[in-house]
Amino acid sequence: MAETTISVTGSEAGIQKKPRSLFWRRRSRFQHNNLVGYLFISPWLMGFLLFALLPIVSSLVLSFTNYDVLRHHILKADWDYIGFDNFHRMFYDDFRYWKSVKATLRYVSYAVPLRLIFALAVAMLLNTKRRGVYLYRAAYYAPSVVGGSVAVAVMWRQIFGQEDGLINAILGVDIAWFGDPRYAMWTLISLAVWQFGSPMLIFLAGLRQIPPEYYEAAAIDGANAFQRFRKITLPLLTPIIFFNLVMQTIHGFQQFTQAFIVTGGRPLDRTLLYPLYVYNRAFVSFQMGYASAMSWVLLIVIAFCTAIVFATSRYWVYYQSDER
Amino acid sequence: MKSGKALIILVLLVALLAPATAAYGKQEKVELHITWWGSQTRHDKTIAAIELFETQNPNIDVIYEFSGWGDYWTLMTTKASGDNLPDVMQHDYAFMYEWYSRDLLMPLDEFIADGTINLADVPPALLESGQIDGKQYGISLGTNSQAMMLDLDAFEKAGVELPSPQWTWTEFEETCLKLHEALDIWCFGGTLEDEALWKSLYLGYGEWVFAEDNKSLGYDSDEHIVEFLNMILRLMDKGALPTEAEWAEYEDQGPENNPIVTGKAAMAYHWSNQVVAVANAAGEGRHFKLWHLPRPEGGQPENYVKPSMFFAIPASAKHPKEAAMLIDFFTNSLEANEILAAERGVPISTVVWEHLYESADPVQQEIFDFLARVTEDSSPVPPPDPAGWAEIRDNLYEPLFIDPVLYGEISPEEGAAAFREEANLVLSRNE
Repeated sequence: MAETTISVTGSEAGIQKKPRSLFWRRRSRFQHNNLVGYLFISPWLMGFLLFALLPIVSSLVLSFTNYDVLRHHILKADWDYIGFDNFHRMFYDDFRYWKSVKATLRYVSYAVPLRLIFALAVAMLLNTKRRGVYLYRAAYYAPSVVGGSVAVAVMWRQIFGQEDGLINAILGVDIAWFGDPRYAMWTLISLAVWQFGSPMLIFLAGLRQIPPEYYEAAAIDGANAFQRFRKITLPLLTPIIFFNLVMQTIHGFQQFTQAFIVTGGRPLDRTLLYPLYVYNRAFVSFQMGYASAMSWVLLIVIAFCTAIVFATSRYWVYYQSDER
Repeated sequence: MKSGKALIILVLLVALLAPATAAYGKQEKVELHITWWGSQTRHDKTIAAIELFETQNPNIDVIYEFSGWGDYWTLMTTKASGDNLPDVMQHDYAFMYEWYSRDLLMPLDEFIADGTINLADVPPALLESGQIDGKQYGISLGTNSQAMMLDLDAFEKAGVELPSPQWTWTEFEETCLKLHEALDIWCFGGTLEDEALWKSLYLGYGEWVFAEDNKSLGYDSDEHIVEFLNMILRLMDKGALPTEAEWAEYEDQGPENNPIVTGKAAMAYHWSNQVVAVANAAGEGRHFKLWHLPRPEGGQPENYVKPSMFFAIPASAKHPKEAAMLIDFFTNSLEANEILAAERGVPISTVVWEHLYESADPVQQEIFDFLARVTEDSSPVPPPDPAGWAEIRDNLYEPLFIDPVLYGEISPEEGAAAFREEANLVLSRNE
């Protein structure tokens, strides 16, 4: 065996620095590296603990109390634990609660599928290599960016106005969109569908990943456009559809700004989306404990819906990497 | 190295001490915080009055914050929970008792006694509603009453005579139909079912909607409100009133979209101090008259003379003396009240009242005259709303009772019965 020179560089042998104090000499290298890492992320960690984790935990605690801001000051801790009373009241004594649940379920079951359908349709149209397609992409994405704003919501009220509104002028009808309980929800649903930009971009990315050879092969075999869509595009897109479905459902359940500004929950609570009702209970009626309880129920419901989508995904989502 | 370190330390010391020395010179300036609610008209006038106060008191710097009525109590309650209350806050009869019972307000008697707040020109009756348990917690900013605003031009065009000030709801219905038939507009906006009118209706029958012990509704028979709602439904059917669906767009809009301003309605219901903003929005060349609320047949006047709003000093105020000076300024200063122009109601000081009347424009004079007429012919001020009223108003009165009835989903009797049951449940929790 020839003599080999082993050269030790810093990265191969580990950090060979001389520890400066007893504290560091006693810590393992593992702990030392980790600590530096924690120090680097400490600003974010502080923010997360203070502004995310702490409010979430206190909201959970408050949902079992009767905290209502003025009467029971939060820091003086003179609110009382009332166990599951808030939940009991929500499910049995509050008629508006069930109205808001119904309204939210209606909203989600219309807005989410419609939004995804539009997103996929426009994504397929934009899946070309023609020049200038990026302009259209930006144009269709723009509503997603500005749509959550107050300005757009106010403009939406103008568009659906009964007398001078754009929609009534185009359709040639005289519908009181905001006053008629049958139609008010459509103002919100249309606003949601108009913002199909972000799922559209994700669909576009998914469409680009489908190898064009599949389409060529199918075309040669005589498949028409619809068959190509059904047999190639849809199955290969199912992971993307799955992702978008989960994200959009979660987003749909959390819809607040637009309901607040465009309809305010009116008329007759038909558009009283759940987060809006939580806001009303929390900041108009100041029943914070009750509102916290409502928020946690929403969390459980969203988790449940997402779990269902995940569970059924085995049956309809096809990953190209799987062998099935 | 060493001299470099010394230089750095020196620079740091100077940087730390410099602000302290600068602040030393400005020590005397008092920062006063004030909040109020209102329309843009009120904001502009109040800010102008505050600037006048600052010119007259150069050592006081006033920092103001204002909002619309809808957001005001959310804002103030948030401030209260953060121990962040201003030195002067505009307050309302409906909320004063609750804030007093949470020890959030400071009694003003010592400032009145030592003359900081000069109430020599104020009739004692106008101070009563700001008193709780024998102490003064709020100074009224103006007297008010509920008014039916009539568009005289519309009445003339329709050839309808002005009713008498003691008109009844039956006469109201007739006038409404005549106006609608002649002009094909609404006779009135969509606010007839406002909770204030529900309360006034029972005042007209000599009752009050809450029981004396505040633990239940104070009236036994739902007949009166059912009749009233039936009248509204009849008028809606004939097109004289907007249907709920049509009215939905007008909710929560500013005075500019008020139907009486745009000519879509001939009458409107407003508190007498709000008339200033509405008349401003209507512009030149409009003629309005303020009339009593209609009353039930053979009933009592539904109007009462109410303080529109108060200025109160929160218990946590850092500069109560200067706060009291600001309140005195609003109450007694002639120039300030010329700026404010009775937008919050008729001033409580008789000296200010007389001074303003001379130079008032027609709208303000009408308001003043109206208040004078009402004072002659009114019911006594009802007691303040009990605890639990907020819950009833936000979650029961409209969602459970009024909206379903006026949308035709349930009958007025069913609505009234459901409302009675739920409202009594909420009120029974009062001590």
